[in-house]
Amino acid sequence: MKILVCLKQVPHQDARLDVNGDGTWIKEDGIKFEINSYDTYALEEALRIKDAGEAEVVVASIGPDRVTQALRTALGMGADRAVHVNDAACQGSDALGIAKTLAAIAKEESPDLILMGLMSDDGNASAVPPMVAELVGMPSATAVVATERSEGNIRVERELEGGAVEVVDVPTPCLLAVQSGLNQVRYASLKGIMAAKKKPLDVKTAADLGVADAVGTAGAKVKIEKIYQPLRGEGAEILSGSTDEIVSSLMNKIKELGLL
Amino acid sequence: MIEWSESQQMIRDVVRRFMEEEVAPHVEALEHGDLPPYDILRKLYATFGMDEMARARFAKQIAREKRGDTERAEKGADGDLAAKADQAASTLIPIIELCRYCPGMVTAMGVSVGLAAGAILSKGTTEQKERFGLELLTLEKIGAWAITEPGSGSDAFGGMRASARREGDEFVLNGSKTFITNGPFADTTVFICKLEEPDVDVRDRKILNFVLDRGLPGFEQSGPLRKMGMHSSPTGELFLSDVRVGMDRLLGGEAALNKSGGGRESAKSTFQTERSGVAAMALGIVERCLELSVKYARERVQFGHPIGEYQLIQEKLARMEVARMNLQNLVFRTIELTAHGQTMTFAEASAMKLYAARAAVEVAMEAVQVYGGNGYMSEYVVEQLARDSKVLQIYAGTDEIQIRAIAKDLLAGG
Repeated sequence: MKILVCLKQVPHQDARLDVNGDGTWIKEDGIKFEINSYDTYALEEALRIKDAGEAEVVVASIGPDRVTQALRTALGMGADRAVHVNDAACQGSDALGIAKTLAAIAKEESPDLILMGLMSDDGNASAVPPMVAELVGMPSATAVVATERSEGNIRVERELEGGAVEVVDVPTPCLLAVQSGLNQVRYASLKGIMAAKKKPLDVKTAADLGVADAVGTAGAKVKIEKIYQPLRGEGAEILSGSTDEIVSSLMNKIKELGLL
Repeated sequence: MIEWSESQQMIRDVVRRFMEEEVAPHVEALEHGDLPPYDILRKLYATFGMDEMARARFAKQIAREKRGDTERAEKGADGDLAAKADQAASTLIPIIELCRYCPGMVTAMGVSVGLAAGAILSKGTTEQKERFGLELLTLEKIGAWAITEPGSGSDAFGGMRASARREGDEFVLNGSKTFITNGPFADTTVFICKLEEPDVDVRDRKILNFVLDRGLPGFEQSGPLRKMGMHSSPTGELFLSDVRVGMDRLLGGEAALNKSGGGRESAKSTFQTERSGVAAMALGIVERCLELSVKYARERVQFGHPIGEYQLIQEKLARMEVARMNLQNLVFRTIELTAHGQTMTFAEASAMKLYAARAAVEVAMEAVQVYGGNGYMSEYVVEQLARDSKVLQIYAGTDEIQIRAIAKDLLAGG
């Protein structure tokens, strides 16, 4: 069995984010990056399948040199090999450009299962996983909170609004986009990290994958116009007094606004 | 080595995440709630495969001994220097990272794995290593290394009163030990004492190391003593009253009785390892104090300005950074030497320990000063780190003893 896990490297959750000069993205200089938290659950799920039996886990990511560290971390946790699309031409890609690139990798690899995080911590779009599934012609499920594998099928529990759970059977090969909390993500072992240097990490360009026209700002159908910090609004009211007084005046405000 | 390698940075990041998730939430209980550190340390070992690595290294060492090889296989071999450096760094990084939160946990871990197991592995027979050493290396059992006595600290061997009286194939052990890290909880204790030799002056008597199990008749382990800092490292007293042991518990067996140097030299090599570890501890303390101080200097506003804008605060931050750079370079040097199969001289290790301990105390106390009244409160971490750091100038050889070792070496040179 082969499992492809698609990872995104995102700014560290504690990183201080400032908007860049032309207002189209954040300043990336000097900040720390990490694997998108949702993707870590996808990776863990793949590694659990590997631990339970025969499976090869391939991790793939798109981005500049710094992404190597995310891939090496995944290799340190137990993935077998990595594919890194390291191509300046990919910079500024929209979700579809990213999806086409990942789909091209998936077509080369022909995995039995593709696992990804439901969304990215920075972009929050949730757009890439269903696009990849569509492009490679696989059934897919999103917001996966539990899986149960059987021959040719994965029974999946999906998280719905209001805490409801939907159970669906997805025939394999398929793509699952997992929700956070699906499992307890392992730490890479020290030995694993030291051994990761010796595991294969293939570097590819968009042209290698035949998607040169689809990536970058040129290939993007969605363009980021502007990114800005929310403006500080007027009219905030700070309630004061004892806890009981604050609670009671807050309740009155809510009632006044007809929200209760 | 001029910077942490990519692998080493990954190790640091993943170990730091463990500290944030598994140690930080328990600091209060470890420091003030009498939570012994051992279960968290075992989790650290299991999580990062440190127990497995220890087992593998141990198996290699034993196999080598059984083949009769005396040379370490790696020594002299060209091998992969980067891999060896990563290996060396992988033992120091958890020390550095633990010290950002709980330096006491390093003391508890270091004494068990470094001193107790270290003594057994360097002085024991192969059989003793297998019987007592492995479980300490993996932290399945907790070890103590008992040298200090109420009347002997820096003059550890000279003033030592603990004794072993030979009776046929047995020894009768007596004495009391104090300030023993892990003393209250140790499963295995390396007890250092002098052979009773009526014709030899008490200062010159042979030094012997015995391995004691918890619960041996006549062997009493006290509860934890109250102390200034390092509260996450339980410290206690040991009392031995006519504890009878066989030759199987004398490290090195019969041969130890005939060894020249009286066991003093091998204890020195233990001190050397201990002193190298202190530089890594100091680096962890200094890194954290510096980060916290910079953050506070940016945020704390007095007289209408963040205090970081005042030159008196800037001077403190700059001095902390100098200490951090120096300590990091010393740690890099330790890693580089280990990768090359070399060790520092005794005097070099002493110099490093002296500098590291003083730097940690100075930085931690200055961090308290940057924080002002808040720094004196337990709620702010620098208070704990300032108390914890002080012991670095005392244990593993006081500053004064390090100075003596450095000067002695300088003056002995041609």
